[in-house]
Amino acid sequence: METGGFHGYRKLPNTTSGLKLSVSDMNMNMRQQQVASSDQNCSNHSAAGEENECTVREQDRFMPIANVIRIMRKILPPHAKISDDAKETIQECVSEYISFITGEANERCQREQRKTITAEDVLWAMSKLGFDDYIEPLTMYLHRYRELEGDRTSMRGEPLGKRTVEYATLATAFVPPPFHHHNGYFGAAMPMGTYVRETPPNAASSHHHHGISNAHEPNARSI
Amino acid sequence: MDNQGHGHGQNPSMGIVGNGPQLPYGSNPYQASHITGSPGMVVASPGTIQSTGQPAATQLGQHQLAYQQQQQQLQQRLQAFWANQYQEIKKVTDFKNHSLPLARIKKIMKADEDVRMISAEAPVIFARACEMFILELTLRSWNHTEENKRRTLQKNDIAAAITRTDIFDFLVDIVPREDLKDEVLASMPRGTVPVTGPAEALPYCYIPPQHAQQVGAAGVMMGNKPVMDPYAQQSHPYNMAPQMWPQLLPPPPPEQQQSSPDQ
Repeated sequence: METGGFHGYRKLPNTTSGLKLSVSDMNMNMRQQQVASSDQNCSNHSAAGEENECTVREQDRFMPIANVIRIMRKILPPHAKISDDAKETIQECVSEYISFITGEANERCQREQRKTITAEDVLWAMSKLGFDDYIEPLTMYLHRYRELEGDRTSMRGEPLGKRTVEYATLATAFVPPPFHHHNGYFGAAMPMGTYVRETPPNAASSHHHHGISNAHEPNARSI
Repeated sequence: MDNQGHGHGQNPSMGIVGNGPQLPYGSNPYQASHITGSPGMVVASPGTIQSTGQPAATQLGQHQLAYQQQQQQLQQRLQAFWANQYQEIKKVTDFKNHSLPLARIKKIMKADEDVRMISAEAPVIFARACEMFILELTLRSWNHTEENKRRTLQKNDIAAAITRTDIFDFLVDIVPREDLKDEVLASMPRGTVPVTGPAEALPYCYIPPQHAQQVGAAGVMMGNKPVMDPYAQQSHPYNMAPQMWPQLLPPPPPEQQQSSPDQ
C-alpha cells in the first residue's frame, strides 16, 4: 500500500528534473512519463474493471494553468507579475497536494475495508496532515453543498446505499481522537470540536437518508 | 557577538533614519485591494542603506528589523485570508461552476493505483481545498517576493514559502535544490529559525469558531496598526518579538490562549 503511494509521490521529481533539460530532452522525458502514466492507467483499468482510456494526456496530470493563475491573482496585488516557472511550479504543487491528501484518505478507507473515498475521508486526511485551517471552511462548504445540491445528486441516480455508507463514515469519523501529525499543531483539537458542534445538521442529514439503523454497527465496530 | 551588539546599539538611529524614506516609498508599490488588512510597510532598499555609509553590522540589524516587519505583515494577511474564506463560503450558492474542473481532480486522485472508488462529493471538496491551497501558497510566496523588493513572483519565492511552512514539507521535492540553498543562505543571517517557529504556529492555532469571532479577528487587525507605531519607535527587533505576540494573543478567544502556552 505505502509502496504504491510512494511510487506515485516520486513521479513529480522526474517532472521537475525534466524542466531543467533542453526542449528536446524535455519532450523525450515527457513522452516517457506519458508512457508510464499510460501503463499505470492500463493497470488501473484491469484492476478496477472500469472502461478507462489507456492513454493519459500530459495535461491531465495538472490543473489547467488558466484556472491556477486566476486563483493566484485573487490574492496578489494588481501590479504583481508571475513568472512562467512559478505558474508551472504551483501547478505541480496542486497535483502533489491532491495526491498527498488522497493517499492518506485512501489508507484510512482500506484500514476500514471500504472501497469508496468520501468527502469525510478527505477532510480527515487534511486534519491528520496538518491542514487544520482548512477543516472548518470546508466542513461548512460540504454542508452547504448537501443542502443545495443534495436532491440533484440523488436525482443523478446515485444509489441510496452509498449515502448510508457515507453517513456511517461520518459517524465513525467523530469517534476516534484526532491524530497530531505535527507536534507543533495542538490547535488540531479545535477542528474536531467543530465536527462535534455540527453534529445536529449531520443528524438531520441522517434522518433525511433514513440510515440510522446502519450507522449503529460502524459505531460498535470502531469501539 | 561584538558586531551584533554594535548593530543592536545602532538600531534606534537607523530606525529614525529609515522612517523618512519609508513613508512615501511604502505608499506607492503596494495596494491591498484583494485582502482586508493594513497596507504593508516597505523598508528602504539596500542601495539606500549603502549610500548612508553605515557599517555592515548596522545593515544586518536593518535586515532583521525588515524581516520581522515582513513576518508580522504576513501573519496579518493570513488571518484576514482565513476569515475571508469562511465568510465567502457562507455565501456560496453555486456548486456547478467550480474554480477547478472536477474531472481533472478525479483523474489525479485515480493516478494512484490503490484508489478504487471516489464519492461524488470528494472532488467537490477538493476543488475548494485546492483553491485555498493555491491562495495560501501564493500569499506566502508573495511575502518573499516583497522581502526581495521585487514585483514578479518567482519559483524561488515558492521554494522559500515551502521551506518556511511545515505543512508544505511534502512539496520539498518539487522545487530544485538551488532555490532551497538560496533560501537557507539568505535567511540564516537574519535568524530565521527562532522567529519562524512562533510565527508559523500562530495561524494554525487561530481558528475562529463563530461569526462573532470573525469580528474579533477584524478588531485584531485594526488593533495592529497602533502596535506598529511603538514597534517602529523602539526599533529593537530582539525585544519586539516577545512584545508582539502577547499583544496579538489576548484578543483571540480563551480556548486559543490556552493552546498557545502549551506550544
